[in-house]
Amino acid sequence: MANPLRGEVIRLYKNLLYLGREYPQGSAYFRERLKSAFMKNKDVTDPEKIQKLVARGDFVIKELEALYFLRKYRAMKKRYYEPEQ
Amino acid sequence: MAARVLQQCVRSLARPSLRLSSGHLAVRAAAAPLATIHRPLSFAADSRRTRWLGQSRIPSVGVLCRQYGDLPPLTLETIKERVMYVLKLYDKINPEKLQTSSHFMKDLGLDSLDQVEIIMAMEDEFGFEIPDAEAEKLMSPEEIVQYIADKKDVYE
Repeated sequence: MANPLRGEVIRLYKNLLYLGREYPQGSAYFRERLKSAFMKNKDVTDPEKIQKLVARGDFVIKELEALYFLRKYRAMKKRYYEPEQ
Repeated sequence: MAARVLQQCVRSLARPSLRLSSGHLAVRAAAAPLATIHRPLSFAADSRRTRWLGQSRIPSVGVLCRQYGDLPPLTLETIKERVMYVLKLYDKINPEKLQTSSHFMKDLGLDSLDQVEIIMAMEDEFGFEIPDAEAEKLMSPEEIVQYIADKKDVYE
């Protein structure tokens, strides 16, 4: 319970939840997947392993940001340029 | 805005009143250059436009009144109502079991991740951020109400 990494994990969860609101398949879908992903590792106690998992979560955050950026870019391109044949 | 002025003109024209229709001519004269003037530059024209709106307003049209958005002042009672409302809408809580004193984990069977979601919902509802260190301690609706009341300077 009093794991020093607890705050870190909760911060990660919160950030991911915020990002998931705009997920293409809907925020409910994202929330479910996120929850199950966290629950899958709930028994991990080794600090090193937790660190690794948190790093993976941060990587997912980066991926999500890239996804949204790309989506925005594509939408802009579609609006302002002729579709390529 | 210009469209609204024109609409106003049309409306006043439709009324068979001599005073209003003479006003209409003047309004159109004022509105015509407005349409051509580049918008951001026409600050002076802007005030003229609003003055015209004020003059040509038909008393029965209340739409143009300014309405400022403001929430009713928070009281402990309204905070409690809103907190309970948000919690009732949360899909993992059974609304029948929910009491103001019920503990999220012990009584409602939620886990710490659900509690994070609840805190996020509260942040959305009340429009301010709750730091993680303090969010961890909020474990029942009444504690949330107390915390929000403290933050928003609401007493009795």
